[in-house]
Amino acid sequence: MTQLVLGQVLNGAIIGAMYGIIALGITLTFGITGIVNFALGEFMMIGAYATYALAERGGLSYPVAVVPACLIAAAAGYLSNKAFFRFTRNNLVNGLLVSIGLISIFESASMLLWTATPVEMHFVLPGALRVGDIGLPKMKLVVFAVIVIVIVMTYLGLARTWLGRAAFAYAQNPEAAMLMGVHTPRLETAVMLYSTGLAGLGGALYASLYSLEPAMGGVYVLKGMEAAILGGIGSLMGSLWGGVILGVIEGVGSIFLPTAFRDAYGLAVLVAILLFRPSGLFGDE
Amino acid sequence: MKRVVLLLAVLALTAAPAAAQDVVKIGQIEAQTGANAIYGWMSSQGTALAVDEINKAGGFKVGNKTYKLQLIALDTRGEPKEATVQLKRLVEVDQAKYIFGPFLSNVFLAVRPYAAEFNGKLLMWGGATRIHDYVGTPGHEFLMRTWNWDAGKNGFGELMVDNLVKTTGTKKIAMLFQNDQGGKVLEDIYVPMFKQKGIESRLDYFEPGTKDFSAVLAKIAAWKPDFLFPGYADSYIYDIVRQATETGQLKKFFLVRGSLGPGLKNKDGIDEYMVYVPKHFEEAEKTDPKVAKFIKSYKDFYKRDFPYDQAPLCSSSCYDHVYMLVEAMKKAGTVDDPAAVKKALMSMTYDGLWKIRFDDKGEAIFNFDVVRLKKGGALEVQHINPN
Repeated sequence: MTQLVLGQVLNGAIIGAMYGIIALGITLTFGITGIVNFALGEFMMIGAYATYALAERGGLSYPVAVVPACLIAAAAGYLSNKAFFRFTRNNLVNGLLVSIGLISIFESASMLLWTATPVEMHFVLPGALRVGDIGLPKMKLVVFAVIVIVIVMTYLGLARTWLGRAAFAYAQNPEAAMLMGVHTPRLETAVMLYSTGLAGLGGALYASLYSLEPAMGGVYVLKGMEAAILGGIGSLMGSLWGGVILGVIEGVGSIFLPTAFRDAYGLAVLVAILLFRPSGLFGDE
Repeated sequence: MKRVVLLLAVLALTAAPAAAQDVVKIGQIEAQTGANAIYGWMSSQGTALAVDEINKAGGFKVGNKTYKLQLIALDTRGEPKEATVQLKRLVEVDQAKYIFGPFLSNVFLAVRPYAAEFNGKLLMWGGATRIHDYVGTPGHEFLMRTWNWDAGKNGFGELMVDNLVKTTGTKKIAMLFQNDQGGKVLEDIYVPMFKQKGIESRLDYFEPGTKDFSAVLAKIAAWKPDFLFPGYADSYIYDIVRQATETGQLKKFFLVRGSLGPGLKNKDGIDEYMVYVPKHFEEAEKTDPKVAKFIKSYKDFYKRDFPYDQAPLCSSSCYDHVYMLVEAMKKAGTVDDPAAVKKALMSMTYDGLWKIRFDDKGEAIFNFDVVRLKKGGALEVQHINPN
């Protein structure tokens, strides 16, 4: 039993990191620009299908396919921002409406292009690493490592660079930031590009592990949202920890409780934590 | 000039009904796309091919009239509500009397009450497992089931489980089903069946939409089953088999629904993958001229490779069934009386890709294959003829 639980703690942490990358996108966009982008799961889906298309149909190797896939997702994010999101700053309802519309558009387009029949990539890195009775797929470990590196680099980039300080200044007071020489529209665009590109990366990594279908983004944006709230909106490392905690709760919960309700375990813990820490585990009080 | 136009208009008006009478409309409600599309996609492919072949051959004669077929195939995407609207369109707008499908139980349960309103005026034949509960019961004379039933002396599931016990000595089996109508159907059929055969079983459900099965697979692996019976839809079975074999937790699989595809894709990770395959087309193509002809026609018609992994599902409401329906219409001497056509269907055995007949309730019985895939891809095919 100990090995079973330990295995699920590790596995849950890896799956949680996937939630974390979406949570990072959510926390960046909302925390810095005030834009609510519930459609991030769709950019993940775009990244996943783009990776599949480039690798399986285009003949590119997987690591090479990931880069243009992220760029395609970011380009879709750029267009969405120019057309819709930039008008929804600090307006939750408008952001939600635009997101719902975009989810519908992207899903329908994907359905037309790929049909809703799932597709699956070939094994990118087959096999598992065994520690005692615990077996962890090698690709999952790679995915985990990539996500942790990306989140830490994002954190360092925001904490230690001029651009990061400008972003935080913009988040606190856009007018004052603009007066201090921060080109705020460009910053907003950069945040949208980065967050949707991140979601695209999440999709590209997802494609190496699971089968793809047009509705895949819906589940992950909910998990990402849960992880972002759990970690504390605005906290970059909180998004990673929020995702990991959520993943571990789901994994371990599934051992002791019926798996048919796996999604509920994370939500129950989220509600319990928010009762005591309304701003999330790592959010500002 | 006015007279000529008037004459042409009159001619057009009188000619139109005559032309309409020469067409027999076939409606189809199947999921051609969606997570469970595997069950409807092949049916829709095979039906269109048969209709095209029959029409290109000049149609078919009933009495003194020659008829052609018109197929109106709608994609339900596995959505019960959508399917209900589509069936209404087929029955009320298109006035189709012959409905192919559905293959999915959730869709069937949704459309059944509406279809029952047209009892006697409609023939609906689909593969859905839940049709078994209604076929042959009063008020459901419009129904026929085009797939083998799981249980009973001719049941493919029963024969598969017997085979499993006899050849592997299985004592413990774990079931992992999605928490939906299809999963409940399998629970209702297989939990008592395993118990009756002396096999200890456990059942876990997962939420529809799940992609990562590692937690539940680890839980199941700790129970140390001899075989894993993973659901009914390839969209999940691919992920389950991949994740189970990747970590080496579970290597033996038993499937009564789903395809050989997930096993083949993970052939180096499995020990055994035993699956009910209505027909193993790769082998049948070499031995049966009818199968070879079908595969060639498919490739010519669709201009693409033949889907060997999905083709076995053409055993339900598909290619053979279009030909069978036409034969029944000829035998009944009518295209307008679904009750008479059903009577003809019930009394015939059709020898096509499959040898199909119906039992006294209206449920199909046909020959099928049990395929065992071993590590590395070695295949063993066993032909079973319940006829």
